[in-house]
Amino acid sequence: MEEKYGGDVLSGPGGGGGGLGPVDLPSARLTKYIVLLCFTKFLKAVGLFESYDLLKAVHIVQFIFILKLGTAFFMVLFQKPFSSGKTITKHQWIKIFKHAVAGCIISLLWFFGLTLCGPLRTLLLFEHSDIVVISLLSVLFTSSGGGPAKTRGAAFFIIAVICLLLFDNDDLMAKMAEHPEGHHDSALTHMLYTAIAFLGVADHKGGVLLLVLALCCKVGFHTASRKLSIDVGGAKRLQALSHLVSVLLLCPWVIVLSVTTESKVESWFSLIMPFATVIFFVMILDFYVDSICSVKMEVSKCARYGSFPIFISALLFGNFWTHPITDQLRAMNKAAHQESTEHVLSGGVVVSAIFFILSANILSSPSKRGQKGTLIGYSPEGTPLYNFMGDAFQHSSQSIPRFIKESLKQILEESDSRQIFYFLCLNLLFTFVELFYGVLTNSLGLISDGFHMLFDCSALVMGLFAALMSRWKATRIFSYGYGRIEILSGFINGLFLIVIAFFVFMESVARLIDPPELDTHMLTPVSVGGLIVNLIGICAFSHAHSHAHGASQGSCHSSDHNHSHHMHGHSDHGHGHSHGSAGGGMNANMRGVFLHVLADTLGSIGVIVSTILIEQFGWFIADPLCSLFIAILIFLSVVPLIKDACQVLLLRLPPEYEKELHIALEKIQKIEGLISYRDPHFWRHSASIVAGTIHIQVTSDVLEQRIVQQVTGILKDAGVNNLTIQVEKEAYFQHMSGLSTGFHDVLAMTKQMESMKYCKDGTYIM
Amino acid sequence: MGTIHLFRKPQRSFFGKLLREFRLVAADRRSWKILLFGVINLICTGFLLMWCSSTNSIALTAYTYLTIFDLFSLMTCLISYWVTMRKPSPVYSFGFERLEVLAVFASTVLAQLGALFILKESAERFLEQPEIHTGRLLVGTFVALSFNLFTMLSIRNKPFAYVSEAASTSWLQEHVADLSRSLCGIIPGLSSIFLPRMNPFVLIDLAGAFALCITYMLIEINNYFAVDTASAIAIALMTFGTMYPMSVYSGKVLLQTTPPHVIGQLDKLIREAGSVHVRIRRDANEQMVLAHVTNRLYTLVSTLTVQIFKDDWIRPALLSGPVAANVLNFSDHHIIPMPLLKGADDLNPVTSTPAKPSSPPPEFSFNTPGKNVNPVILLNTQTRPYGFGLNHGHTPYSNMLNQGLGVPGIGATQGLRTGFTNIPSRYGTNNRIGQPRP
Repeated sequence: MEEKYGGDVLSGPGGGGGGLGPVDLPSARLTKYIVLLCFTKFLKAVGLFESYDLLKAVHIVQFIFILKLGTAFFMVLFQKPFSSGKTITKHQWIKIFKHAVAGCIISLLWFFGLTLCGPLRTLLLFEHSDIVVISLLSVLFTSSGGGPAKTRGAAFFIIAVICLLLFDNDDLMAKMAEHPEGHHDSALTHMLYTAIAFLGVADHKGGVLLLVLALCCKVGFHTASRKLSIDVGGAKRLQALSHLVSVLLLCPWVIVLSVTTESKVESWFSLIMPFATVIFFVMILDFYVDSICSVKMEVSKCARYGSFPIFISALLFGNFWTHPITDQLRAMNKAAHQESTEHVLSGGVVVSAIFFILSANILSSPSKRGQKGTLIGYSPEGTPLYNFMGDAFQHSSQSIPRFIKESLKQILEESDSRQIFYFLCLNLLFTFVELFYGVLTNSLGLISDGFHMLFDCSALVMGLFAALMSRWKATRIFSYGYGRIEILSGFINGLFLIVIAFFVFMESVARLIDPPELDTHMLTPVSVGGLIVNLIGICAFSHAHSHAHGASQGSCHSSDHNHSHHMHGHSDHGHGHSHGSAGGGMNANMRGVFLHVLADTLGSIGVIVSTILIEQFGWFIADPLCSLFIAILIFLSVVPLIKDACQVLLLRLPPEYEKELHIALEKIQKIEGLISYRDPHFWRHSASIVAGTIHIQVTSDVLEQRIVQQVTGILKDAGVNNLTIQVEKEAYFQHMSGLSTGFHDVLAMTKQMESMKYCKDGTYIM
Repeated sequence: MGTIHLFRKPQRSFFGKLLREFRLVAADRRSWKILLFGVINLICTGFLLMWCSSTNSIALTAYTYLTIFDLFSLMTCLISYWVTMRKPSPVYSFGFERLEVLAVFASTVLAQLGALFILKESAERFLEQPEIHTGRLLVGTFVALSFNLFTMLSIRNKPFAYVSEAASTSWLQEHVADLSRSLCGIIPGLSSIFLPRMNPFVLIDLAGAFALCITYMLIEINNYFAVDTASAIAIALMTFGTMYPMSVYSGKVLLQTTPPHVIGQLDKLIREAGSVHVRIRRDANEQMVLAHVTNRLYTLVSTLTVQIFKDDWIRPALLSGPVAANVLNFSDHHIIPMPLLKGADDLNPVTSTPAKPSSPPPEFSFNTPGKNVNPVILLNTQTRPYGFGLNHGHTPYSNMLNQGLGVPGIGATQGLRTGFTNIPSRYGTNNRIGQPRP
């Protein structure tokens, strides 16, 4: 990839240039940096494990204070921020102050997460470089993620987090979750604990979430502080100053803490060594090596080589930290090996570590498509031209509130979509009340019923979309307009109902064979509520239906025919059917929605009836029988809808216009000068459009426009409102034949067809 | 669930008619194989459903739905045989080729609805994870996988093969293509195996089986029952990903949209005609829509187009009543030399007319362009008009050359030829191949 586009990308406006330069460096020179980076990351892992041990003894705020103090001491010593460089203005001091506050908060979150879910998980979650997180966020929240590879990386990342959340049975933490109040040393940690407890998750899961949050904060913090570091004169100087300021910031707090609470630490002197290792490994060495490597190597390579050793060493230490072998490594030699099995390795952690490594690898790799350049075309020399402007200029996304407002306005404009929308709102409201109540009372039946309602709502949403889209203007691709979408949506809704009927049928058969015990006391209020909601829906939609029916009677020419057709439908079919076929007046979309509501109503009625039967007579067989009956009823009511939609989709001659068109074609036959016609096609395109095409052969002395107008008039009267006519004369066929010798056979065929049509005309349509 | 062809004949005794049609199809030897596979499929699905309820695994259920989808695709194949035998009836004046499209659409949508159902079920299962028995899980997986692969590879399913190639790639295909590209970067020898576009159905079968194997492993090792739900969701999402592009493609055919390849050809044609023409063409198009076609323009256009896309000309004219007049002097080609005075302006209609027809003829079924009863004749009428127009246009164009405006004109003719003869010929071959031995 790179070689192929290399030249062009370089010629492009600097977009991909940054990533391409260092590629050519000999890898031998990079090797030592890579080794250095790996070693540093390994040491960082050691430092974090160490600091977890430290945090058991030392209060978190004190710990951070000491950390910052040590770091500030070293960095001030090395960088000499006051003696070198330009002077810092008051404005910049304020910014540095903000920087320090943000840094303190992030490290507080970080180390609190460390205490919650242990060093291994902390390392896995938090030690991602900025580039990984940024490309993850860009995949998740922008459309231009950078190809399937990045999407895969993002999916791996999410899977890894989910693995940590769900499949990591960190049992010991769950035991520790019942923390006594006295365990909390300060108001701060207590606050965080209560926040996590409020979320209703176990502590280590709360830690995972906290760390993800902290990771995002860290990346945002780094990005935001980039400009400040340039202003101040280098990232190192900024770091030194910021650490110094945060030491001053934390100082009063630590003093208050140490005065008010008694320390658990026996001798601070024995802790000097561990603190020194933590400060050196976690803060200073990591920072300096990172900054060196990012200068010498590309950022992406740096991220890739950095993430691998740290995750691997985290896994290793996770297994061996409490083992006697590592005792030499542990600077803080606890006297007793309390058989600490806390935060041990579990299957979920290993899997998620693998996924994290993979995702870090994928996400940090430079995107192959140069940058986001889009191919515009080719230059005169034949080299491809790319547009590096980015999508930011192209899709000027409107703000979300405005978008919602506009689409709401669109929805409310017309009665169909308005009705669906209101009913959808009602349904959703009911669903959420049900779900909420289900969660509150911990009733599984209610929750699953709520999910069922959501499932049903999807049909309503589709109907709403179809009703909206059907009003869009015709485009180049949708040359007839979008009206047909309503029919397609009606068809899909019909299929949906058939699927529902099928599942209900299967379940009821299974229950007939093996009737389960069920408790009925909770079902009745829910189904009554559902029944009320659905009855409201039926009232609204049937009102709409009668309205639409009246309108169609007024507008279409064949109203009486239409009506008689419906009456026929009424008398022919049974009771359950009548609703469906009565809906013929409205469009297929509304019919589909209506049937859906009807099916739901039937379901509620069935539940109520079967509940009554079970409670009164103890007939447990009533429940499957009822649902069997309902399934059949749903299926029967859907049949006409699907049949009609199929006919329209197959471009059938609209049945209600058959007679008129037949008469009209006979009339056309009698037009003066007309020899014959062929290929008469008439079909319903959407609810309002009936389209047609016809080829007409005329004698050569007739004026075409007159013929066209006559034919148009006749067919318009017959109800065809989108007509295309091709008028052919003798000369047309002559020209056709005169074109080239290869077409002779075709001419023969055409002639033949013409004569054939001529004699068969009378019988062609019926 | 044979809704697709249940309602083919809505008359009273449609079971009788169905039986008759069925006999018609069954008379063909080729359909025997399909029927055999259908029977095996039914048996297989029955067993799988039994195992689903005995293992209580929703992932296996999701995978079983793919087998049911196979049944639909076999039905679609039968329908496509039936369609080739049927002649257009008076009410279905376009013939029944669209039934094939409808069948593909219905089966892909049904598969997606099944996946939606699985999603709903697994959302419920996340609240209360039931125990999964792994006894028949692996057996079921391999039975379903081998049967699916066997069906996919041994039956040549014309409609689905066409759709899966014509529709845009699913995300599953994209990821596999991306992976295999990087794999081929390491081992170049594999490129002949991995680089061609993968069959989406084979892909989803393999991926689903893989997910089920992982499920089995994890449940066996550590009793992670939640894996079952997770892999059910994964299979459902993959089903969505695979089916969605196909249902969009066939849905667009059903919605009578302009087929995308025609648009591509048109764009190419316009580009070949030169940018001047493109610009002018738009102006001319507007004029036509407004029905303000000047007399001269209209004579030129009518001579060039009436035979070709006459029917398309009429539509704009109809919109504005009085000007309907402009439609029709197609035989008066003796007027042609006249318009040359106007140079480039007069040329517009030449290029504009080919663009115009693009909107009206929608794709009728997968292999047929436009609304044609008799494909052969129609194809010719569509190609020929261009050639015809060119013949007539020659005089004007040569004159134009003398005036120094000829270059675009020639470009235009070239474009017309290459662009438009290509489409029908492709269709033509498709049809011809498709009918004798599908």
